[in-house]
Amino acid sequence: MSFTIYTATGCTRCKIIKQLMNEKGIAFEEQDMKAEGKEAFQKFYAANRKAIFRGPDGVEFPLLHDGTTLRQGIGACVAYLLSGTKLDGFFSVGTLHKEWVDGIHVSGGNPEYTTEFLAALQYIKKGNNMKLQMDTNGLNSAILEQILAQDLADVVIMNVLGPKELYSQLAGKAVDIDEVEKSLSLVTKFPEYKLQTTVDPVVREDGEISYLSTKEIGATAKFIAEATGSMKNPYLVKLFKPKECKDERFKTIEAMPAGTLLSYRTAARAHQVFVEIEKN
Amino acid sequence: MSYPTVYPTGVTVYNPKKAWNGFTIFQAREQGALLIDMNGTEVNFWQGLHGFPNKMLPGGYVFGHLGERNNNFGMQDQTDLVQVDWEGNVVWKFNQYEFIEDPGEEPQWMARQHHDYQREGNPVGYYVPGMEPLVDQGNTLILVHKNVKNPKISDKLLLDDVIIEVDWEGNIVWEWACNEHFDELGFDEAAKNILFRNPNMRTSGGGMGDWMHINSMSVLGPNRFYDAGDERFHPDNIIIDGRETNIICIICKKTGKIVWKLGPNYDSSEDLKKIGWIIGQHHAHMIPKGLPGEGNILVFDNGGWAGYGIPNPSSPTGAKNALRDYSRVLEIDPTTLKIVWQYTPAEAGFLMPTDAEKFYSPYISSAQRLPNGNTLITEGSDGRIFEATADHELVWEYISPYKGEKMPTNMVYRAYRLPYEWVPQVERPVEVAIEPVEVTTFRLPGAAPMGAKKTTVIEGTRPYQGDKALCVAAGDEAEE
Repeated sequence: MSFTIYTATGCTRCKIIKQLMNEKGIAFEEQDMKAEGKEAFQKFYAANRKAIFRGPDGVEFPLLHDGTTLRQGIGACVAYLLSGTKLDGFFSVGTLHKEWVDGIHVSGGNPEYTTEFLAALQYIKKGNNMKLQMDTNGLNSAILEQILAQDLADVVIMNVLGPKELYSQLAGKAVDIDEVEKSLSLVTKFPEYKLQTTVDPVVREDGEISYLSTKEIGATAKFIAEATGSMKNPYLVKLFKPKECKDERFKTIEAMPAGTLLSYRTAARAHQVFVEIEKN
Repeated sequence: MSYPTVYPTGVTVYNPKKAWNGFTIFQAREQGALLIDMNGTEVNFWQGLHGFPNKMLPGGYVFGHLGERNNNFGMQDQTDLVQVDWEGNVVWKFNQYEFIEDPGEEPQWMARQHHDYQREGNPVGYYVPGMEPLVDQGNTLILVHKNVKNPKISDKLLLDDVIIEVDWEGNIVWEWACNEHFDELGFDEAAKNILFRNPNMRTSGGGMGDWMHINSMSVLGPNRFYDAGDERFHPDNIIIDGRETNIICIICKKTGKIVWKLGPNYDSSEDLKKIGWIIGQHHAHMIPKGLPGEGNILVFDNGGWAGYGIPNPSSPTGAKNALRDYSRVLEIDPTTLKIVWQYTPAEAGFLMPTDAEKFYSPYISSAQRLPNGNTLITEGSDGRIFEATADHELVWEYISPYKGEKMPTNMVYRAYRLPYEWVPQVERPVEVAIEPVEVTTFRLPGAAPMGAKKTTVIEGTRPYQGDKALCVAAGDEAEE
């Protein structure tokens, strides 16, 4: 297996990955897209266009390729180098820059590999002085607890999917609501946290698809209040974006006009006084 | 109006035959909402009811606020908007816009209302035949504050103006935030430069930029321009003005976009140059259908100091770079931009520009068109409310005797005239004419009358000249 790392001149994250490979004695070839590796990168990009994420500021670096597997961004690269594919789901490409790293999904990976996940976070944060922003939907609360205990997160964003009754449906799998409640109580203890709910479409009992109702968002806000013991959490209600949805059932649903969120804010304010709504 | 040391307060002029007779509501400084008749009789005083402004509704109801946010943390934020009945019972209240936790204060919901609001049924908040505001139902548009960050405008914390529409139950059903339309306001690079550096920073709350300072918000209502097919003047659209920017503009209710605008500059066309630089204006609104001048924009153009732009000797930084030391009330056709009526120091009978400051309120103030074509003008900074006919005759004048203790001024933010019928609780008052006092002969006890004891004649004196050789150009010479 031969590794190639695609970098950009001056990219700190790229240096961190190269350092990790050196520490582990992994041989690699570097292609700097701003220098002599420009042509090689363009060729690689053309061949892997669909697999490479382009954020608002362009392609995020580094890109790590071992001939078969591609990983992009510092988190995913560290995870792959330390644990292979075990940590898939915990990391994706982030969009934050400078000292901030995001694209870390506490609920996204297999909890059997908690030790390996925490080791990857340790390497990025403690080993390289980066700041970590993570997200959770309440699952894997035991991991969140350890992240808190080890002081591994600077910001945690919790996607509270909806009211208790719909949580499993919205998560797409059976959810132990006690675990979500535990995450809610933990998340408020991080240095900075935000709660958010997207007004998602839901398949109703009769098969009809409709967006979460204002009453259901009100119930979500109440759920948050009960689990956190506070009506004063930073809480954002977001619009569902059909075009960005990966679930085929919801791709064709009509987008909700932004102004509609006003009534959702009113409903949520009965239980969370600092609720804000997403603007288009 | 520059007052002498001693002057009467209350009603000083009243011509019942030419005035549009009714009650007048205003906020007596640091006292409460005060309803007076044409002779100044205080008909009802809602003690402690704040008014930014107070407005009346048919049935003897009055709008106001139960309180104001601690000035250390908020700029002019009223805690709520309430509708109070004749006996002082709160029959409607809105305060759930923002939950506020100020140090040392009780955490509470606040409306953060300021400067204006409109109840459905009437576009402008004053009497229009056939357009009565609803009193027991309907939506209310409210102008509120919100603190925001917007690096496109400035790196400082901004005090933004937001318009919300709330239903009778208090649900917010529509919202418009001014900062999100910065690009539509037409600022040039010089204005953007000083706005970024100093967006009119005020000290409240540790410092915030009151960058636009919207002081008026009303609905256009039915109008002849829309009837003729001009979509810019859709009856649901909203007109606002921003004191700090010298901008008057109309917002499309449906899209939120700005569809008509005057300012911030008044030198980019001949029509604008003829209007002259509107500065620090208040109460810009469309005269509602059914009143003389319907469709025209009526505005109290304060003068004073306002605007962002190129620095000049009076404004080394470009902040508040337009100055004028007198006021004007302008009625402007929004399609031709022609001034169709005005009340300036000249119409008031003062020598221009040397006596122009005698009609001058550099802040607050308003103008209301009355059904007989008269205009009720609040020259606010000196607490003067007066009514002028279309040909500029003064037919009613009132000077507020209520001077504040915490702020020593008798200022009146905005007064409204309303028909007697809106207050069924009291009999129609007796109207007693008050002839204007002849000031050349009026004397206080002990003061001598005019007339020399001895007149000495000198041979060879010549007649006096006119006004063409004052230290500054004035009168006919200034006009040339």
